[in-house]
Amino acid sequence: MTAHSTTAHGTPIEHQGHGHHWETSIAPFAVVFGVFFLLPLTFSMHFVYHNTILTAVFAGIGLPLILFGVAKWIDEGLTQKPLVAGLAGVGMPIFIVSEIFIFLSFFATYWMVRLSTYSWPPEHTPEMPVLLPLFMTFLLITSSVTVHIAEEKLEHGDLAAFRKWLVITVLFGLAFLSCTTFEYHHLLEHDFLPSTNAFSMIFFSITGFHASHVFLGLSIFIAILLPALGGRVNKTFVLCGSIYWHFVDVVWIFVVSQIYFW
Amino acid sequence: MSDAHHGFNLREWIFTTDHKRIGILYLIGALSAFAIAGTFAIMIRMQQYGPGMQVFDSGSGYNTALYFHGAAMILVFLIPALTGFFANYFLPLMIGAKDVAFPRINAFSVWLFYAAIILALVSLVIPDPPDVMWTGYPPYSVTTEGNTAFYVFTVHLLGFSSILGAINFLVTVIYMRAPGMGWNQLNMFVWTILAAFILQLIFIPVLASAVTMLLFDKYLGTHFFDPAMGGDVLLYQNLFWFYSHPAVYVILLPAIGILFDVIATMGKNRIFNYKVCVYAGIGGVLALAGEVWIHHLYVAGVPDWIRVGMMITTLLISVPIGLMLMSLWGTLYKASITFNVAMHYASACLFLLLIGGLTGIPLAMTVMTANLGQTSFVHAHFHFVMALFSTFAIISGIYYWFPKMTGRLAEGKLAVVAFWFNIIGVNITFWPLFIIGVQGMPRRYFSYEQFPQFAPYHHVATYGSFLVALGMVLTLINWIKSAFWGVKSEANPWHSKSLEWTHTPNPPGPGNFPHDVTVSADWTPYDYVK
Ligand SMILES: [Cu+2]
Repeated sequence: MTAHSTTAHGTPIEHQGHGHHWETSIAPFAVVFGVFFLLPLTFSMHFVYHNTILTAVFAGIGLPLILFGVAKWIDEGLTQKPLVAGLAGVGMPIFIVSEIFIFLSFFATYWMVRLSTYSWPPEHTPEMPVLLPLFMTFLLITSSVTVHIAEEKLEHGDLAAFRKWLVITVLFGLAFLSCTTFEYHHLLEHDFLPSTNAFSMIFFSITGFHASHVFLGLSIFIAILLPALGGRVNKTFVLCGSIYWHFVDVVWIFVVSQIYFW
Repeated sequence: MSDAHHGFNLREWIFTTDHKRIGILYLIGALSAFAIAGTFAIMIRMQQYGPGMQVFDSGSGYNTALYFHGAAMILVFLIPALTGFFANYFLPLMIGAKDVAFPRINAFSVWLFYAAIILALVSLVIPDPPDVMWTGYPPYSVTTEGNTAFYVFTVHLLGFSSILGAINFLVTVIYMRAPGMGWNQLNMFVWTILAAFILQLIFIPVLASAVTMLLFDKYLGTHFFDPAMGGDVLLYQNLFWFYSHPAVYVILLPAIGILFDVIATMGKNRIFNYKVCVYAGIGGVLALAGEVWIHHLYVAGVPDWIRVGMMITTLLISVPIGLMLMSLWGTLYKASITFNVAMHYASACLFLLLIGGLTGIPLAMTVMTANLGQTSFVHAHFHFVMALFSTFAIISGIYYWFPKMTGRLAEGKLAVVAFWFNIIGVNITFWPLFIIGVQGMPRRYFSYEQFPQFAPYHHVATYGSFLVALGMVLTLINWIKSAFWGVKSEANPWHSKSLEWTHTPNPPGPGNFPHDVTVSADWTPYDYVK
């Protein structure tokens, strides 16, 4: 049994689980403890213990660990051959099932709070924008189309066009996040904070949670794009990224209809 | 390279992506949590020995002990032992796979679990430990001086770990079964793990959302659970139990799955009513698991139509559970039983589940819960199901697969003596709690000066808990001793027909199977009676 073969580019491909030695990877370990420092510890130091120095220290440990781990993970993903190819394309939709239930919990909370109140929106709610969310919807739907085009280009082996359409997709995503930032800034200036009233907590948690998904989707695209510049692409990974992006797009339709136009 | 998998190499263990080693890492973490949370259990029992302060100097010390005992036992011991350790080590072997679908994500899961353990341990040494039990109900969890954030993040880390585990194992079972292995040829354990992970995938996100709102309420000043500002305090309880009732099945189902494999193998018998058990039993639990949670809110002021509706579903769910129990007992029918240590624990489980299940029926009824709900009757009921039944099933499984993992047997006098300490001890501990529960002994109170008449019962229960502690320590000593110096086992000591015994060495090396596995259409893991 040969343990190593080579790709067209001459980089060695390692087969996972071929039975010769114990498989190892430092990547998951690094990402977990990066997350551990960056989320629970940094949050607690800032919001629970109000300790600025430790907040900075823990964030400073966490972020590089995550970046290192993710880079390593992607590198291994591009050089090693899984036991069964293409399974991540099934894993991602299963993950999305779980995501749907998070959004459902927040929407259920929203419906319960709203339907049990006599007047809506509650006091201290400023005029919400109407045109901006429509524009943001346009941005996301267009980006779903562009990522689809990128995938088709990759399918036809046109790597340059793939990269171009992926960059366009990322730009649309960034434009979307800029709109979110602009809107938040505007609302915060009008003293509409998460703690203001029942609508503000719903508004910021649902749109904020969705925006974090846009951010994650963009991070996946950038993680695809950087190796793709060097000619290294994994089609399953691209498929996962695009499935996720379409999901983020569909959720936004629900967010817009429920939060802005109801 | 040829001798790379001989000898101990720490680096190879910490960065491992091998499902068996990840399984062992889960086992070490889970057993450590069991030891610490078990110590808290003894302290709780000692505090309850008599009215007034016994071992804690304040009520909040007692609350912290309750928090750690409950959260660690359920979230860090039971669920990770079953869906982390057993699933990781044995499921790929049972279906003939070389590893899980996503080995690196699997490593990611186990280290998230360890990150949660670290956070839980840090919780014990900070000046403001969480004191919100394992349920974290507002408004107390929002107003307490304790660090609710650590509770929330512990849930987040474990939840994310389980969701990734769910993705991994669902894909593995669907796509990586040995060629020729159909759905009706799966081990019962594989079915129950599949079901447990479906529940985790769907319900954990709801718990994660609930505790996130708790975090926002406490630290960002939102009002999700504050009725004065348009929030709803019962919302938390609804979201929490929407996950946490199904969490009972996340524990119960794999525990039953282990019992099926132990009983069928040790009885050399087919699974009685395999298809009914799988499709109506496990399927029925899956279908009903999300429609019963209101039985935790019977006295919380919920409209009657929901209470009565969920009373009916709660009573109904004993039908699929009953089908599974019937299959367990039926598998013993005309079996030729080898009564080894695993089988001792398995038979104890049949008794414990019966008591736990029967005492659940009155609690399913709204009228009874109005009186029993806040008493130690509930406490004893769920300990019979969750603590005793599930833990005994876990111990049974460890004895059953001990030769697979170590190449050695853990049988012998010490194991049997420890078993009798355990089974007698748990009954002495929890039966008195049923009795005084019916008479009105409140749950969760750190002292019971108003009810001095219950003190004798508490004496008995506390002595019982010492017996269990002794039994567990002896069990642990036996495992450690046997792992290093135990009698060498033959390749398939129980003469099982299941792939993990017939096709892999003890313990399996990298890649699991020396030769690729295919199974024929008439093969089953319980192919004993022809
Ligand atoms: Cu329940």
